[in-house]
Amino acid sequence: MARSVTRSRKIVNTTIAWAIGLIIFFPILWTVLTSFKTEAEAISSPPSFLFFDWTFQNYEAVQERSNYFRHFWNSVVISVGSTILGLAIAVPAAWAMAFVPGKQTKNILMWMLSTKMLPAVGVLVPIYLLFRDMGLLDTRTGLVAVLMLINLPIIVWMLYTYFKEIPGEILEAARMDGATLRSEVTYVLLPMAVPGIASTMLLNIILAWNEAFWTLNLTAANAAPLTAFIASYSSPEGLFYAKLSAASTMAIAPILIMGWFSQKQLVRGLTFGAVK
Amino acid sequence: MATQHSKAAARLMIAPAVIVLLLWMIVPLVLTLYFSTLRYNLLMPGGTPFVGMENYQYFFTDPAFTTALVNTLLLVGGVLLITIIGGTLLALLLDQPMFGQGIVRLLVIAPFFVMPTVSALVWKNMFMNPVNGLFAHLARLIGIQPFDFLAVAPLASIILIVAWQWLPFATLILLTAMQSLDSEQIEAAEMDGAGALSRFFYIVVPHLSRAATVVILIQTIFLLSIFAEILVTTAGGPGVASTNLTYLVYIQSLLQFDVGLGSAGGVVAIILANIVAIFLMRMIGKNLDA
Amino acid sequence: MISKRTLLGSAVGFGLVAGLSTSAMADTITVATVNNGDMIRMQQLSPQWEKETGHTIEWVVLEENTLRQRVTQDIATKGGQFDVMTIGTYEVPIWAKQDWLVPLENMPDGYDADDILPSIAGGLSVDGTLYAAPFYGESSMVMYRTDLMEKAGMEMPDEPTWTDIAKAAEAMHDGENEIYGICLRGKPGWGENTAFLTTMANSFGARWFDMDWKPQFDSPEWKESFTTYLDLMNKYGPPGAASNGFNENLSLFQQGKCGMWIDATVAASFVTNPDDSQVADSVGFTLAPNKEGVEKRANWLWAWSLAIPAGTDAEQAAKDFVAWATSKDYTEIVAEKEGWANVPPGTRTSLYENQDYLDAAPFAKMTLQSIELADPTSPTVEEVPYTGVQFVAIPEFQGIGTAVGQALSAALAGQSSAEEALAQAQSITQREMSRAGYGK
Repeated sequence: MARSVTRSRKIVNTTIAWAIGLIIFFPILWTVLTSFKTEAEAISSPPSFLFFDWTFQNYEAVQERSNYFRHFWNSVVISVGSTILGLAIAVPAAWAMAFVPGKQTKNILMWMLSTKMLPAVGVLVPIYLLFRDMGLLDTRTGLVAVLMLINLPIIVWMLYTYFKEIPGEILEAARMDGATLRSEVTYVLLPMAVPGIASTMLLNIILAWNEAFWTLNLTAANAAPLTAFIASYSSPEGLFYAKLSAASTMAIAPILIMGWFSQKQLVRGLTFGAVK
Repeated sequence: MATQHSKAAARLMIAPAVIVLLLWMIVPLVLTLYFSTLRYNLLMPGGTPFVGMENYQYFFTDPAFTTALVNTLLLVGGVLLITIIGGTLLALLLDQPMFGQGIVRLLVIAPFFVMPTVSALVWKNMFMNPVNGLFAHLARLIGIQPFDFLAVAPLASIILIVAWQWLPFATLILLTAMQSLDSEQIEAAEMDGAGALSRFFYIVVPHLSRAATVVILIQTIFLLSIFAEILVTTAGGPGVASTNLTYLVYIQSLLQFDVGLGSAGGVVAIILANIVAIFLMRMIGKNLDA
Repeated sequence: MISKRTLLGSAVGFGLVAGLSTSAMADTITVATVNNGDMIRMQQLSPQWEKETGHTIEWVVLEENTLRQRVTQDIATKGGQFDVMTIGTYEVPIWAKQDWLVPLENMPDGYDADDILPSIAGGLSVDGTLYAAPFYGESSMVMYRTDLMEKAGMEMPDEPTWTDIAKAAEAMHDGENEIYGICLRGKPGWGENTAFLTTMANSFGARWFDMDWKPQFDSPEWKESFTTYLDLMNKYGPPGAASNGFNENLSLFQQGKCGMWIDATVAASFVTNPDDSQVADSVGFTLAPNKEGVEKRANWLWAWSLAIPAGTDAEQAAKDFVAWATSKDYTEIVAEKEGWANVPPGTRTSLYENQDYLDAAPFAKMTLQSIELADPTSPTVEEVPYTGVQFVAIPEFQGIGTAVGQALSAALAGQSSAEEALAQAQSITQREMSRAGYGK
């Protein structure tokens, strides 16, 4: 990296990048700001950007009406649970596909991805009936299973591409040195696989957290996650922008913060083997 | 190192994933196929007589079918176009040295963490609403008539919303790919007197093609079944201007509760999705040594 | 989903409170409701009922369309997720005929079912049996800005015609200053624009079907009605009208951006509430209009009601809750806490004989009159094979009404002409009706 960059070039870059970054981020920022306005202020024209009477009343109203923590906890259990279950099934599969590839490996992988194309709206009624008969309606167990299944193909594929990057020679070398299978896994493979697994886990928690069709349709009161919480604030009677903003902020903040803190880990495995 | 023994072990390791997915695919599929041959409306209990292909005939002759098909492709194509081009440019920009790169990156990836329903609600109400939306306020500020996004350009507006959600994903993958680009190669080209544009098109673009393929594959899978954004913003309208196949199936199976017709639509959607999938996988196969 | 705790179990957990409970079982009921203001209030007041009875409520509060899909799906598949559902006058007769609902006979003492307004009770009964208890009832009427009318030197007639409405809209319209002469529903949906346009068509002498279930969108009455609507909205309507439903128009009116708004009577308490409405002091009410010489007016009838799905395992607790939430006592609780103007309107005769209410609610008389004028059993000038004012009470209507609403909304958005939209509505309806086997 011997390229020298002039200071002015760097300033220009900075300015453009920040401008674009802020534009992209603006809808989220605006939602957060609006959540601190009164309902009247939220629709006032011209809109006030920062200079308004900051208020927490929307958060109080939302808290009074909905059991946020329960929805939040359901979201956590469902997204984390489905991801862990998914990893438990996917890690061995991806491992085997990457290190013991067969003739059908590629086909199996592509077939798995194709199951993701099943349009949820078309199969809701059959699944609903099945869930009813198995007593899984409005249970977190049921949702964990469904979300695990819809994300499993992505998990397998991500892990597969990641595992494939682990060079086989290292294994060979470790074996030559007389490493046992156990130490081979502990000292060689795990350290190399963990970043990929971590990244896969993060991506899937995000996907599961944001899934809004199954989570809304298969739940009532007990297992309803934050997506159902949001559905009780969209377009009620009267002014609702500020309360909707507060509810939205509460629904996205946990995952956004998690995403920001772990973005390095997330990005590392997001490549799907796209980088060689 | 693929001995017989390890092959058997490998099969054993793959089996759980294959079995659960097979069940997840076959059970609904069989039920859907079965329902699609019945006259079965949830709101009208009683018999569910076998009607053969009647539901399919109805689905294909639905006046909204062609529009929905075209809209599905436009939606996928439009979002892919925006996110790939926008993502490449953004990645190029973020790859440059600057102050506060980390923070800019955080800002850019943020939309990826937002629930689709939330982003649709926010865009619809707080930005695109022609009276109270921010765009309307801005338009009035500069003295022009507010533009009624969701009524005049419903599909384009939805494409914009969805593209906003997926731009971070494309950017991240393309950026990672770009960072793996050998800088010496660029410098050599620079020495040889290649301009910035030709450096971009002859060195960067080919290098990114693999990453772009991945972006296209993953996004297409998700974009084919876009639903929440449409339901929240336009409910498929005005008319059928923003109805895609998924939404059409939704109308039939969950609004009219015509399970038979909805199932037929579901089967058609599965077939179409798989056609796209095969097409994509050919492309991937060529580009991605999976 | 119903977790039944024995008295012993609860007593361990709750000590004396459970001991006071009169019922042997403390049930948990799941109540599904719409996120409208009155229901939110019910949710907030419900701990009182929980305390009195020892039962517990799990709330599922959803946006209207989501809720409707969710509860319909659940009741039709007998999913058993809910013990009380909030549904409307459209669903009740259809569901009751399928035996999906628990008949509300033997309500607790003092419920006084005879006090329910006859037209509302009629809409919620099948063969004289009540299947859902009305939580609030509504018709539609004209809400207008008295200050703007005064400024224009006009007066709103007590029984306006569409010509009067057009004149008033023209006089009040001031697009430059974002005051739009008239706000009407344009957002597609059978409960949105289709509801309004159907009542408007009724007031022009049109109807959905003739006695042979043949759709009538090709009739001159429909054409006149629909072109009048388009004309009004194109000249004096707000921008983006094609995506304005009840809520959107309510916000606009509360911000003082509409001269006139023809919509649900329940909106009256919102637009006159000074906390939310900038025009609270200057709202007038009058009957929904008609075309000169047509005996039907453009006012509908709707009641959000609480119903109990058959097969619930907490029927008694559910019934008890339904009775509580739709009782006179509940009205008094709301009046005490929020003021008389905010009680759920339009369900009981006694409310309209209550001087406190009449004093607090300037819109009470007009609401009652509008409700009484609406007749679901004879909604149109010419005879029809269906009941329902702003809807057709057949299961297929949700789908048809929404598709028709889409077609008509496209004309408002300028994407098709009135003729094209009506022709489309005609063919959509024909297609669905022949599929469903009507008129054979």
